[in-house]
Amino acid sequence: MTVMTKMKGFAAAAGLAATLLTGGAAQALAEEVTLTMAVPDWPPTRIMKKFFDEQYKPKSGNTVKLDVDFIPWGDFYTRVNASLTSGEQKYNFVVSDSQWLGAFVEGGYFRKVNDLLDADPEFKAVMESMHPNPRDAYSTYPHKTPNFYGFPQFPDVLVNFARSDILCHEEEQKNFQAKYNKKLPCTGEELDAMTWDDFRNVGEFFRRKKGEMLAGKPADDDFYGIAYQAGKVYDFSSMQINGFIWQMGGNVWDETQAPKGQAEGVVNSPEAVAAFEKYLSMLEFMPPVAKTGTMDIFKTDELFREGKVAMNINWIGLGEASLDPKTSKVSDKLVFGQMPGTMGADGKMVRWSNIGGQPFVLTTWTTDAQIKEAVEFVKWWLSPDIQHQFAASGGQSAIKSVYEDPKYVTYRPWNRAWAPQLDWQKDVWHVPQFYELLTQQQDQFDLAITGKQDAKTTLDNIAKFQQNLLTEAGLIQ
Amino acid sequence: MSMTATAAPPALFSVTLDNWKLAILVGLVVSVVAVLALPAGIAFWIVGAMAAMIAAAFVVNAYRRKYYGGLLVAPAIAVLFVMNIFPLLWSLGLSFFAYQSNQQSIRFIGLNNYIKVLTNEIAAPANWDALINTAMFVVLTVTAQMIVGFLLAMLFAKQFPLRKYLLILVLTPMMLSVVASGVFFTYYYDPTFGILSYVVNSITGGQFILMSSKVGAVTGIVFADAWMWSPFVMLLVLAGLVSVPKYLYEAAAIDRVSKWRQFWTITFPYIRGLLMLALLFRTIEAFKLADLVILLTKGGNDTMTISYHLIRIANEQNKTSEGAALSYLMLFMVIVLTNLYLYIANRRSQGA
Repeated sequence: MTVMTKMKGFAAAAGLAATLLTGGAAQALAEEVTLTMAVPDWPPTRIMKKFFDEQYKPKSGNTVKLDVDFIPWGDFYTRVNASLTSGEQKYNFVVSDSQWLGAFVEGGYFRKVNDLLDADPEFKAVMESMHPNPRDAYSTYPHKTPNFYGFPQFPDVLVNFARSDILCHEEEQKNFQAKYNKKLPCTGEELDAMTWDDFRNVGEFFRRKKGEMLAGKPADDDFYGIAYQAGKVYDFSSMQINGFIWQMGGNVWDETQAPKGQAEGVVNSPEAVAAFEKYLSMLEFMPPVAKTGTMDIFKTDELFREGKVAMNINWIGLGEASLDPKTSKVSDKLVFGQMPGTMGADGKMVRWSNIGGQPFVLTTWTTDAQIKEAVEFVKWWLSPDIQHQFAASGGQSAIKSVYEDPKYVTYRPWNRAWAPQLDWQKDVWHVPQFYELLTQQQDQFDLAITGKQDAKTTLDNIAKFQQNLLTEAGLIQ
Repeated sequence: MSMTATAAPPALFSVTLDNWKLAILVGLVVSVVAVLALPAGIAFWIVGAMAAMIAAAFVVNAYRRKYYGGLLVAPAIAVLFVMNIFPLLWSLGLSFFAYQSNQQSIRFIGLNNYIKVLTNEIAAPANWDALINTAMFVVLTVTAQMIVGFLLAMLFAKQFPLRKYLLILVLTPMMLSVVASGVFFTYYYDPTFGILSYVVNSITGGQFILMSSKVGAVTGIVFADAWMWSPFVMLLVLAGLVSVPKYLYEAAAIDRVSKWRQFWTITFPYIRGLLMLALLFRTIEAFKLADLVILLTKGGNDTMTISYHLIRIANEQNKTSEGAALSYLMLFMVIVLTNLYLYIANRRSQGA
């Protein structure tokens, strides 16, 4: 080693030490800000936490910590509700289901963010670059008014998860054609073109007993064509049934029409009854657990991953597990399409569906310093670069420039169904009474799903209950 | 006189630390003024402070007058008050108001919550259904547990090979967490993955789904509950059986008394008290049944119990005061039932 290189080495070391020292000094001046967050425990929030830990550098120079409580979906509402109403003021950020807005805004827990948007034109532009359907569903209260409360954390829609190995099998294709005089859907485009009648046929066609031939082999267990959510808990049947009702020309109680809009006569209109009957008629082609009222979104996901069904309508948010060979027996045999629609009188497909996904919401006790960092964090989360990365890891983006990028559809096989579905998303009740509306409706739907009550009686009971409750609350006059 | 060692009680208006009469007087006056004049949030803490002050005066008084017995139970009473009695009284108060925990307003409405719970055309039928289901579960689960537990105890009272290990095995269900057992039974009953449907289907060739009817769902829940809690009954009965003196049986054997008669005249009187205790514990527990229902059916197939119904009303729908009213009615029922029960049990043992 020459003297010269020694000198250089010394200088480099000194330089490094100096930067470390000054860096340290700058850090000492910076504040430490902790943002505490309640989120449901599933891939879209796990990915967010991972990105934050790996990549997030706050512009302010402060040390920002994101303290995340991952809560299982089944308990999520109960836990967040208990935390907020008890007044413990634990969370700065809540990943809230869209329908919770009314209850928690009226309770004084969720902070209005119009002032933050007005103070930051860049931020406002981000909000305006979003598709209006998810933005309205996730952010506005009262629904569709310019009063903003949240930012999309993870937007979601229902899509059709399907098995290409079964659906594209030559023998099955031939037999299906012979039986229904229609091609058995096999590619993404063919799935997109499906109506609920086609979906029903797939269900009827693929009901196989153990040992019967299935795609060229004897089935190693009973096999079923179709599945969708029909569970009693939370909203695990309403989210599917609402789509049927809207597609077939019915409606749920429409909060944007309050206080003129009625529940009686709307919720139990003949169109709604017919739509609900259609939903119920397909349950017989689904795995037998459908008859117990416990076939929720997790059960259908499990059945699909275990290779027991050919098609399953489910949220994209649950999709990652079916792509992973560690958790899925069908990971290499998948094809995805849009949720089936209903053919309108004009020959165009009607595709209304209930939106999924969640916004982040700020709570009212969050301090100014925390709000500043929270806004920076949300802007970072909604920046095109991170949104692309999120989509590439299994998330979704509601920002137009991101999902319209040609790269977007290449990230995940279901992304091709994303953009076309966004225009068809609606949402239900953001009113404070939503949980009562939801539990009563779920109980009634469960009675119909388990065969205790017909569709008409069910919707009559729901309409009567809603009319009564919402009149008492002053939302119907 | 030994009383000379303790100080004389202070006069009503002398300001000393042990003057509990004055403390009560001051506490009451300050509390009433605070409640009337100050906002509720501040008044709450002032009343709390007054209660603490009165309690402190009692403690100092007890110490100075050497009421050590009272002092020794004071911590237990304090905990009981803070954790049980205060919340009970607080919720009793709430049940007379229109209050929802996610809303800021509160309004006095007298007995309207009770009237709603009992007579409202939408709320009342749901409550009654849940109550009837609860009564059904109480009868079924407790009967199943008493019979199975009793038979198990009779079995384990005898000596046989591997008894010790089998006993541990039989006690395991009681030690498992309810959630773990519940999930286990969910899969056990599942028509696609579960072993029960698999076995029945392979015998009958049909499509067996246990949880698709009310009878099936109730059977499933009762079986799971009995599986978990029969060992508890067994433990209590076993303790009774072990305590029966051997010489009584020996004497009976010499007198050639039949086994049946031996049981009723020797064994049963010894275990009756413990059987009653097991019955009481299990009845109270069964009345509160919610966990297994939530795990197995979520209240579907008409298996909603009053406890689960209450959780939904009070914790999920945030109808706090309506939930308070309903839970007071429930508490009242449990107290009446328990006392009736104890009365009958006592009368019988006195008669014996």
